[in-house]
Amino acid sequence: MLYIHIPFCEKKCGYCAFASVAGARELYRPYCTALLEELSRLPRRQLSTLFFGGGTPTSLPTDLLCELLDFIRQHFSFAEEAEVSMEANPGTVSFESLRRLRLAGVNRISFGVQSFDDDELRVLGRIHNAEEAREAVRMARDAGFDNLSLDLMYGLPDQDTQAFDFSLHCALELHPRHISLYQLTPEEGTPLFTALENGRLTLPGEEDIIAMDSLVNRVTAEAGFEHYETSNYALPGYRCRHNIRYWHNEEWFAAGAAAVSYVQGCRERREENPWHYIEKITAGEDAVVERESLDREASFRETVIMGLRMMEGVDLSELQCRFHLEPRQYYGGVLQKLMEQGLVERTPTHLKLSPAGHSFANIVMAELV
Amino acid sequence: MNNIRNFSIIAHIDHGKSTLADRMIQLCDLVSDREFKNQLLDNMEIERERGITIKSQTICLPYTAADGKTYSLNLVDTPGHVDFSYEVSRALSSCEGALLLIDAAQGVEAQTLANLYLAMENDLEIIPVINKIDLPSADPEGVALQVEDDLGLDIDHVQYCSAKTGQGVKEIFEAIVTLLPPPQGSPEAPLQALIFDANYDSFRGTLISVRIINGTVKAGNSIRFMSTGKEYRVEEVGLFKLRRESCKQLSAGQVGYILAGIKTVEDTRPGDTITTVENPAAKALPGFKEVQQVVFSSLYPISTDDYEDLATALEKLKLNDAALTFEKDSSAALGFGFRCGFLGLLHLEVIQERLEREFDISLILTVPSVQYHFFLSNGKEIIVDNPAHFPDPAHIEHIEEPFIKATILMPETYMGAVMTLCLERRGENTNFHYPTPGRIELTVELPLADVIYDFYDKLKSITQGYGSFDYALFDYRRADLVKLDILVNSEIVDALSQLVHRNNARARGLHACEMLKQEIPRQMFKIAIQAAIGGTIVARTTVSALRKDVTAKCYGGDISRKRKLLEKQKAGKKRMKTVGNVDIPQTAFLAVLKSEQ
Repeated sequence: MLYIHIPFCEKKCGYCAFASVAGARELYRPYCTALLEELSRLPRRQLSTLFFGGGTPTSLPTDLLCELLDFIRQHFSFAEEAEVSMEANPGTVSFESLRRLRLAGVNRISFGVQSFDDDELRVLGRIHNAEEAREAVRMARDAGFDNLSLDLMYGLPDQDTQAFDFSLHCALELHPRHISLYQLTPEEGTPLFTALENGRLTLPGEEDIIAMDSLVNRVTAEAGFEHYETSNYALPGYRCRHNIRYWHNEEWFAAGAAAVSYVQGCRERREENPWHYIEKITAGEDAVVERESLDREASFRETVIMGLRMMEGVDLSELQCRFHLEPRQYYGGVLQKLMEQGLVERTPTHLKLSPAGHSFANIVMAELV
Repeated sequence: MNNIRNFSIIAHIDHGKSTLADRMIQLCDLVSDREFKNQLLDNMEIERERGITIKSQTICLPYTAADGKTYSLNLVDTPGHVDFSYEVSRALSSCEGALLLIDAAQGVEAQTLANLYLAMENDLEIIPVINKIDLPSADPEGVALQVEDDLGLDIDHVQYCSAKTGQGVKEIFEAIVTLLPPPQGSPEAPLQALIFDANYDSFRGTLISVRIINGTVKAGNSIRFMSTGKEYRVEEVGLFKLRRESCKQLSAGQVGYILAGIKTVEDTRPGDTITTVENPAAKALPGFKEVQQVVFSSLYPISTDDYEDLATALEKLKLNDAALTFEKDSSAALGFGFRCGFLGLLHLEVIQERLEREFDISLILTVPSVQYHFFLSNGKEIIVDNPAHFPDPAHIEHIEEPFIKATILMPETYMGAVMTLCLERRGENTNFHYPTPGRIELTVELPLADVIYDFYDKLKSITQGYGSFDYALFDYRRADLVKLDILVNSEIVDALSQLVHRNNARARGLHACEMLKQEIPRQMFKIAIQAAIGGTIVARTTVSALRKDVTAKCYGGDISRKRKLLEKQKAGKKRMKTVGNVDIPQTAFLAVLKSEQ
């Protein structure tokens, strides 16, 4: 359980509010050096999952990525069957690079495809078209990636249900093992947000979104996918073990600009700006800019709301074990009311959202947070 | 005593009163340049923010005049807004003279007149001061003629200044010394000290502002409040320099403060007379007119836990705001609260803001109302200012509502727009004349209920700031009133009920429904909002049901942020009032108070 953040992209997408800078190639080498330094300070634990996120990790030269992977293998060692994930974008990979990453230990690859409609991709500011996305998936297959995931967005500007249906089917035709489906949420400060504000773009209405939701549920189920988390679907045996740790609110280590770790109840967020990150690490300091340690009850509540994102819900015996708390006793009337409203259900082992509860997840979570 | 001058500055709002006070304080070297900030006498945050004076303030300025003698000049700063003229009249009673400040570009305004009359009632000597002579649009000579013709004041006494640059301020000091009379009274006579203000100090008890009319008071004296007979021992007396400064004694003619460890609010009523126990005065001073509240609204704490705090806060505000009245009230929708009386809508806003800021209490206000006289078929007459007390319509013989006589001064170009506004607000018997060429003085009789909302703001905006307004209650007239109820999912929200003119009821109802529709967030079910008179629905809107939340992705780096967003949502929900099963935010209650656009 180690997360590594690569804060670089070829180009910043119009909707993106993530920590990432475009075109800062001169930073690639110094950034990796700083990363190696930060990693070397971490305790030498065996890793069951490793996740490279971004940004676009594959915008780094493959040499550097392999160097990082080699170091990690030596410093930490991988558990048997360890899950080693990397996010990648079509347009930043070749058969050669994918082959080398696979050989260096990466066994799960997640492509940010977002759409199979070239016009939609252009509006989003993506650097690739639909055909390049297909090509990237084929190359990954050829390079030996079986565990392959695709990210798709819906509720895009001017998108109708039919257009989304098309993208979804294109995605499934590529036989991914895992799909993440996100409703586009405009973040303040992004070009997309501005375009929506001043009316140059419009998002589909609520009715369309609801239609897309039911489309997702039907089509993914037909293709044999299990809906296991709010936005995530997997074929049996292909759930993302690394991300499940987040939703179980379990601990993980992290390194890199903007990366967040959660170790011994303490959540630490690192400096977002890669220049500053490099400076601080090089100067022998840590790059943490924010620390948060919740007390037992707050941490319990956080674990409940994160756990409710999982379709199976949150494991009651797990909660008892970690916090010595029982949700029905703890929340009393608040939870009782949510259950009476049919938003929350209780099985012998779990507390979970009902299908209606998933539609109003924020309302439910705001009661339980 | 010959070296004391007690004076006020009176002016129309925005004519530069606080700036002139600042400049006079600076000229007396009371404050170093480092300590100086604008609006020195406006201590309250709200005063500084809005650039207005709400509370009177007193300051003692030492001044060495051209005759070589050193004088103590007591300046009592007063508010300018029409809502606060009662503060002005109290402050004036502690003075022998007043500076009547007039903007050199705007000339005489409605409140200039109103304040002049107040000063005359108090037999004050008046020095007209024409301010802002540095403005390019200034017309000091023209304004001076207005002073002579309209106000009947001596043109030779007119002072010209720019409070901003300091030009002419020195001359004003000389005029104060030479033109204003020194206070009368005898330091040897039995003590008569007029209370003109009181402020609460949590360490020392009530700080009483007094004008000593006769006699002398010092620490150790036993004093008696003549209206209540309560007795206290004086701990400290002193003067208002920039800060409080204790002194040995206060004697006839002086303005200062008394601290006597007084913890109860009621004991220090402005207008009361303080005397000594050993040598009491034979009779009390005349005191003040009772202030008249014209606007009534109920205040409810958002969180019912805050009720006790609200009670305490109102007690404290009442201490230095005699014009505020309150009594317990309760609502099915909002729980326990207080029915409060205010001098006007600005006064209401100020109290609301002070409660929220100084006491950190979030409030819901009900629709402000005036006092109506209900004549019932059984011959009884009752006064109603609260929709909750609206009598059974079958028993109402007739209803009367308060009318005011408003005086509006403005450049003649705005006449048409202002007339339209007055007619919209059911104005009657309009009358006008030209006090000077190009300017119109309009008098109009208006129902108070139609003025309290936003008449003043509207007037300011349609006259681009050049219109001024003053009013006095003068009559009660027949009115056709109904009680308008607002229903949310078929439940009456009693706190949103209002008393309205029958002809306006539909429009008001529709407006309230529209505002609620905008402010009530969509919930998991459809919400019907209706306005009704008796059992008849006159307007309705609907808030459609929320079908689905947007659930964004959430990975390791998002957990904190997501949790904080949800916590914020939870806190927001806590600030809502639940009526039936509908959550109504505070903003919805406030939006209904806002007038139609």
